[in-house]
Amino acid sequence: MTDLPAPLAASPRPLARLRAAITTAPEPAKRVQFDRPLLPWLFLLPQLLVICVFFYWPSVQAISSSFYLEDPFGFGSTFVGLDNYTDALGSSEYHHIARFTAFFTAVVTAVSLALGLLLAVKADAVIRGRGAYRTALISVYAIAPPVAGLIGMMLFDQHIGPFVTLAAMLGWDMKVGINYGDTAFAMILVAVWKQVPYNFIFFLSGLQAVPVSVREAAIIDCRNGWRRFRTVTLPLLAPTAFFLLIINITYALFDTFAVIDVMVKDKPANNPITLVYKVYNDGFRGNDIGGSSAQSVILMLVVLVLTLAQFRWLERRVHYG
Amino acid sequence: MHRIRPLDHLILLCGCLFMLAPVAVAIMTSSHSAADIHVNGLSLAPGGHALDTYETVLTKRGGFTGQVTGATMAMNSLILGLGFAIGKIALSMLAAYALVYFRFRFATAMFWVIFTTLLLPLEVRIMPSYQVMSDLHLLNTYTGLIVPLLASATGTFYFRQFFKSVPDELLEAARIDGAGPVKFFFDILLPLSKTMMAAIFIIMFVYGWNQYLWPMLMTTEERFFTLMRGIKQILQVWVGSQIPDYNQAFALAVLALLPPVIVVVVFQRWFIKGLTESDK
Amino acid sequence: MKKTFSALGVLALSATSAFAEPVQITWWHGMGGANEEVINQVAQKFNAAQTACGLTPVSKGTYEEALASGIAAFRSGEQPNILQVFDAGAATIMNAPGAIIAAEDLLLQNGHSFDREAFIPGIRHFYADADGKFVGMPFNSSAPIMYINDEAFAKAGVAVPKTWAEFEAAAPKLKEAGYIPLTASQLTWMFFENFFSRNNVQMASNTNGYDSFEGTTLNATAPEMLAFWNRVKAWHDAGLFGFYGAGWADNQKPFEEGKVALWIGSSGSFGGLSKTATMPFSATFLPYDETVADGNKSSFIGGAALFAFAGKTDAENKCTADFYNFLTSTDVQAFYHQATGYVAITTAAYEKSKADGWYEKHPQAEVGILQLSLPQGEWSKGYRLGFYPQIRVIEEREFNKIFSGETTVEDAFKAIEAEGNELLAKFAKTAG
Repeated sequence: MTDLPAPLAASPRPLARLRAAITTAPEPAKRVQFDRPLLPWLFLLPQLLVICVFFYWPSVQAISSSFYLEDPFGFGSTFVGLDNYTDALGSSEYHHIARFTAFFTAVVTAVSLALGLLLAVKADAVIRGRGAYRTALISVYAIAPPVAGLIGMMLFDQHIGPFVTLAAMLGWDMKVGINYGDTAFAMILVAVWKQVPYNFIFFLSGLQAVPVSVREAAIIDCRNGWRRFRTVTLPLLAPTAFFLLIINITYALFDTFAVIDVMVKDKPANNPITLVYKVYNDGFRGNDIGGSSAQSVILMLVVLVLTLAQFRWLERRVHYG
Repeated sequence: MHRIRPLDHLILLCGCLFMLAPVAVAIMTSSHSAADIHVNGLSLAPGGHALDTYETVLTKRGGFTGQVTGATMAMNSLILGLGFAIGKIALSMLAAYALVYFRFRFATAMFWVIFTTLLLPLEVRIMPSYQVMSDLHLLNTYTGLIVPLLASATGTFYFRQFFKSVPDELLEAARIDGAGPVKFFFDILLPLSKTMMAAIFIIMFVYGWNQYLWPMLMTTEERFFTLMRGIKQILQVWVGSQIPDYNQAFALAVLALLPPVIVVVVFQRWFIKGLTESDK
Repeated sequence: MKKTFSALGVLALSATSAFAEPVQITWWHGMGGANEEVINQVAQKFNAAQTACGLTPVSKGTYEEALASGIAAFRSGEQPNILQVFDAGAATIMNAPGAIIAAEDLLLQNGHSFDREAFIPGIRHFYADADGKFVGMPFNSSAPIMYINDEAFAKAGVAVPKTWAEFEAAAPKLKEAGYIPLTASQLTWMFFENFFSRNNVQMASNTNGYDSFEGTTLNATAPEMLAFWNRVKAWHDAGLFGFYGAGWADNQKPFEEGKVALWIGSSGSFGGLSKTATMPFSATFLPYDETVADGNKSSFIGGAALFAFAGKTDAENKCTADFYNFLTSTDVQAFYHQATGYVAITTAAYEKSKADGWYEKHPQAEVGILQLSLPQGEWSKGYRLGFYPQIRVIEEREFNKIFSGETTVEDAFKAIEAEGNELLAKFAKTAG
């Protein structure tokens, strides 16, 4: 029982136009390719099918509801044009949250990529105990999000949190939940902690894929470890790093709302939150379907532009094979 | 090159400490009583309640039907984790293969059609997704639990990155030998991708294993309960009226940690292999 | 596998009609832990008490997740028979009259009697329409009450305050005795919504929103509210009021540790406190504002109510009605009250618990009921405000800013009113 007016419900136009704008291939194509007209479609079919049914169909509905104010149960709705967009973009609170989101995304991405890379390079280099290190570092990834959140929350508890006690010894009166900066610090730390193993796994697998002959040649050619890392290892890791960069940005933007929810104890008050947390709070918690849809469309456009930019400019510098 | 490097070990140990301390804390804390955890918070020393807590968690029959035990929840989580990881690898390897190794019309368009899915997480489109599932009569099914989660491009993106870095010479050599696309895929590309598959498998297994919101919305029957739901259920107690059974939540979490760790240990060997030769 | 399951389902359904098996109804709720177990027990009692109906409760996560699940399900025609909806979300479901059947109608249509007067006064109006007809069936209810650290009061040698003026008189002595005089959890519920109810001040136009969603505006800048909050701010600055952020537990914890003399929490909190508090404690009413002319009225109820979804067969609706009837019976109410710590919602259940000697063992359990039984003012019946969960978010944000000194009380409440009114106007439009 859908209540969306037909013309809007079935209009993928804006996306189609966007895609049409991307005329050239964003990446250098492989030199040698197979030339079969049908086979690639056969390979693509399962993925395309799943995406169309479970991504584009619901997404189009989400986009069309951004132009309405709608009773959650689907009885009434008022077409409001771009009101939901102007409401969001015109609010100073929204700007404030957007600024924090940008900061949060940049810091979480940079720190967790750097830590993941550092640990992967070191775990790849040592011989003794490498299996143990690897298992230890990867297994952290498996800890259940609600429990990770609970640990984070207890770690930073105002009254009994060990981290707060530690900070107090250093003269830092930490007040997570009241002080904006302290809450931001705790959120970033927990968000990074959860993402480092992900980056570790992929960097490590990237390193493992470097042929032994290449490594040995590199060691002979280049005695200085740091230079060898910069001139040999890093370029070889570039495809992985590029993948991880985009994944980490989307992680920081989209997948951190559970961490944030736990750290603010589901009451954001005047604590730092990200745009996706606001979408979740307004839409899922507050049942404001139109307003939250508009916010997610804005977010999508921002990320789309960001991703496009990365594929078009950054990937030029990535050297494949 | 095989000498001991104290600095490397120091960095790794610090890394492990930073990463593992919370896990150690979870294990230790699970051996205290709920009231103790509420009052004193996290603990690094073992308490005296480990046995009864773990026994309760493993054997207690919960839920309205009395059929929900730790074991059944673990089974459902396993189905979700395995189904998701295997499905994801199969779908995304095929798609990435098509995108990287074939010349065909609309390839670029297809590339963007697939990569746009990185943009909108399930949580944001969860309500319309539910409606779609209901229209397809997939509520309360394992298919409905697993397949919609597959609609994201992470795997495809990752395999694309890897395939692009595979030397072109391999394909040229294979074509000289007369290998077609299917043979090339199975005989050459698949064995090369072992490390990549292991990495994706671990990540995706854990992702499926840890799902909460979607299964919660999608299923109404207790036989579909997962471990994650069990953990959330325990922690979610009306403010102040009771203390949540923190000990049970931690214990379930520690148990939930085991299968992914086993997966990691099993795939260790794939991680050690280099591209063409073994390291040893 | 899926096919087999649905085939089994069809078989089960046809078997139902052929052998007059019980009619199956479902109940989605947002409770976990011990409270979920009590819900399961209530359902089992119902199924054991009769053979015509079979009730299955399903936990759907938190309150918010349960409401969102219910909405999603209704839009797809998969709705349960009964959905539990929390206080702040009540307006959302009551704004959709086609989605639900009023509890009172359902009971009367199915041959049960219904007596509004059987309910404790403070409970009668919150989930009812402007005419007093019960739309939701009150289920788990609570009231904000004040917990007392008995040691602190003995040490300071002061009496427990009934009004905020008495608190102001006692607080410096409590502070001298080494205690933080007062903390409170969830200020939105304690010091905003229930300031209106306890002191009988109008909260919103259109009779607190009961008459219509159209044109409803929030009365956040009521002079009484501003005056009270200026006092709260002064207490905070003088070290007489401790504020630890919007999180519930952060404000409760120092009371459990015995550092705080008075804590305002929920009427159900005594269960947890009795396990965690390090000192003897008792409880009393939420203080009222002596400067407001017609104060000391009953508070709003917190908690949640049950709503019956429309679009179900008559047989299922009959079962839902039977269950409502069962739920309000004295024995079940007394059982639920005693097992969970939520207040008894009917006078009979209260009397029964009293006869059981329950309040001699748990004197704090009675405080909430007594507070809800106080005379009701014109403005303490309830509020019906759309998007209220988001308005609470705004309140929390501004409260934090008040205590951190980023804003003044006046500016904060102006902001709450302005942004709240925008949301209310938006909500009115959703009804189309």
